[in-house]
Amino acid sequence: MLAVVLVVELGVLGTINPVFLNYQNLLFSTSDFVPVIIAAIGLTLVIMTGGIDISGVSVMGLSSIVLGLSFVAGAPIGFAVLIALGTGTAAGAFNGTVVARTDINPLVVTLAMLFFYSGVAAGLPTLLDVLGFKAYGAGGFEAYQYEGITGLPDSFIWLGNGMIGPVPMPLVLTILITIAASWLMLFTRFGRFLKLIGVNKDAAIYSGVPVGRTLVRVYAINGFTAAVAGLVLTAYFTSARSDLGSEALLNIITAVVLGGSSIYGGQGSVLGTFLAGLVLGYLRQGLLALGITSNIIPIIVGGLLISSVGFKILSGYLNEKRANQRAYSRERLTVNKSEG
Amino acid sequence: MKQLLGQIIRSREFLVLVLLALMVLAVSTVNSAVLKPVTLINIINSSLFLMLIATGQMFVILTRGIDVSVGATAGLSAVVFGFALNAGIPLPIAMLTALLTGAAAGAVNAVGIVFGKIPPIIMTLGTLGIYRGLMRMLTGGSWIESIPQSIKSFAVTRFLFLPLMVWAMIGVVILVVVLMRRIKAARFFYAVGDNREGAYLLGIPVRSTEFMAYTLAGLFSGAAAIVFVGQIGFVPMQTGSGQELKAIAAVVLGGVSLMGGVGTVFSAVIGALFLTTVDSMMIFLKIPGSWNDAVAGAVLLIVVVSDYMIRRTVRARQLNARAKEIAISEQTTSNHQTTKVSP
Repeated sequence: MLAVVLVVELGVLGTINPVFLNYQNLLFSTSDFVPVIIAAIGLTLVIMTGGIDISGVSVMGLSSIVLGLSFVAGAPIGFAVLIALGTGTAAGAFNGTVVARTDINPLVVTLAMLFFYSGVAAGLPTLLDVLGFKAYGAGGFEAYQYEGITGLPDSFIWLGNGMIGPVPMPLVLTILITIAASWLMLFTRFGRFLKLIGVNKDAAIYSGVPVGRTLVRVYAINGFTAAVAGLVLTAYFTSARSDLGSEALLNIITAVVLGGSSIYGGQGSVLGTFLAGLVLGYLRQGLLALGITSNIIPIIVGGLLISSVGFKILSGYLNEKRANQRAYSRERLTVNKSEG
Repeated sequence: MKQLLGQIIRSREFLVLVLLALMVLAVSTVNSAVLKPVTLINIINSSLFLMLIATGQMFVILTRGIDVSVGATAGLSAVVFGFALNAGIPLPIAMLTALLTGAAAGAVNAVGIVFGKIPPIIMTLGTLGIYRGLMRMLTGGSWIESIPQSIKSFAVTRFLFLPLMVWAMIGVVILVVVLMRRIKAARFFYAVGDNREGAYLLGIPVRSTEFMAYTLAGLFSGAAAIVFVGQIGFVPMQTGSGQELKAIAAVVLGGVSLMGGVGTVFSAVIGALFLTTVDSMMIFLKIPGSWNDAVAGAVLLIVVVSDYMIRRTVRARQLNARAKEIAISEQTTSNHQTTKVSP
């Protein structure tokens, strides 16, 4: 379904603006939006369980700034990447622990953590300044605030701007994560647990599913993907910033919901999120290529989010009505027969 | 009277208020300038915007919904208000226009949620994008300036030491409290949020109650927009940006449950005051402002988690007492039985 939408969309945009439809443009323009897909894939797993984690957008900035700071503090870049990914995963695991151990609504927990992580990300650079690290070069802290932490080595920048064959690195990473997450969902017990928790948490507890452990892990995965998304963005922009991704929440949730996940849990697919992310991303690129200002794009994304859910609800309602009618007429038939 | 006092002391609002006072006192030991009336009035003054959108948000959360579009609604209303003022429309009518814009934006949310049955978070997240986009489209992305500066007189004029707007806010709070006590329909918000099916079976108009909640959220966002423009005298593009999440945080901090049916106006007002005070306290402690969000997030998490732990302990104690009671009564009955059987 979404694949068809994607093809139609590309076709329409391509006929209006033929320049848009060459494979190099199509491949390269993905780098602008795939971080959203990466973060959305982690969120898909969380939403499967009927939870939500909106703090991912802050984790993106947090991992970016942690990478930058550990690099300027002298860590080799590979180690800095590990620290950043570890921070993201730990942040997610913390969310998961609070969600699993208490009955507080996941939205409230991750709202608090959204503020907390973004505050820490924004605050860390000033802390280093106070402690006396001359971390920001000659420009000092002022310069950092405008440029972020720059001067990251080429081997890291390659993650955002390099290529494997004709395919840009960010897309390669996205596809790898999509495959890994799909495998988790479809072929492991963990994936089954996620679905069962989303369908009926109590039933999951009574049937011996390790609900607490599973929740901690799935939120940790979300933290990990958010961190990866943050690092890819960092590499793509060649500068580490604390406010990366702060505007991405609408896009991320739209990708998940458009991809067929139910916000109530128990239903969703990683592949769907991936395709929906491509649809959204190309739509944005295509509209920009047509000269539509970026001001109007949130209107279109928002409208798409609402109408996709509205459409799903409407079609569900119509299907049910049709099924009822069919059952009713069948019943009538048998009643008539038995009377006749 | 005594009972009422006890109720107040045990309420979450009171707990947060005490925490707030403690925080201000603690900071005053480091920097005594905090306790100057000017400072306190400034803090209240700068929390008005958040108080208003949080109050609107409260109605929605009472019905077990959520509205993440309130910040964008406030931004849209502010733009309309700015245009209206620049067009030379008299102030009262311009204010009414801003309020109506907010209410209309809220009503659009309500239509999708109540009649379209779209989950509230999806609907309002969508309209968040739409309203924000509309706002940029209307202004072409630039700020609205050159608003007649007479608008600021409201924020500047003082009556009995307090700015007029603070008095207006006090008036709004009193009005809402009185209405919530006196009007039967106000109880419907609680009923619908606590048990939707139950409320429906009792004959409560569930749909119109929900519709009302979202419209009120929009209306209050419109009011917040008026306050905002009145205070700074122009409309930047970031108006209300990120405030929707702050509003939810404020309301939850003040003791409104996202599970619906629990909370008062005071929750919203005190929660908003708390979050704004945190921001100001950082300045007095000379901590860089970039840490604000970290502190706000930590406070919110600590409050909701300790609330959970208190609830759990109370529940455990109740269950223990219950178990003891049962054990005792079982003992007595069994004693009774043995005395009966033995002869």
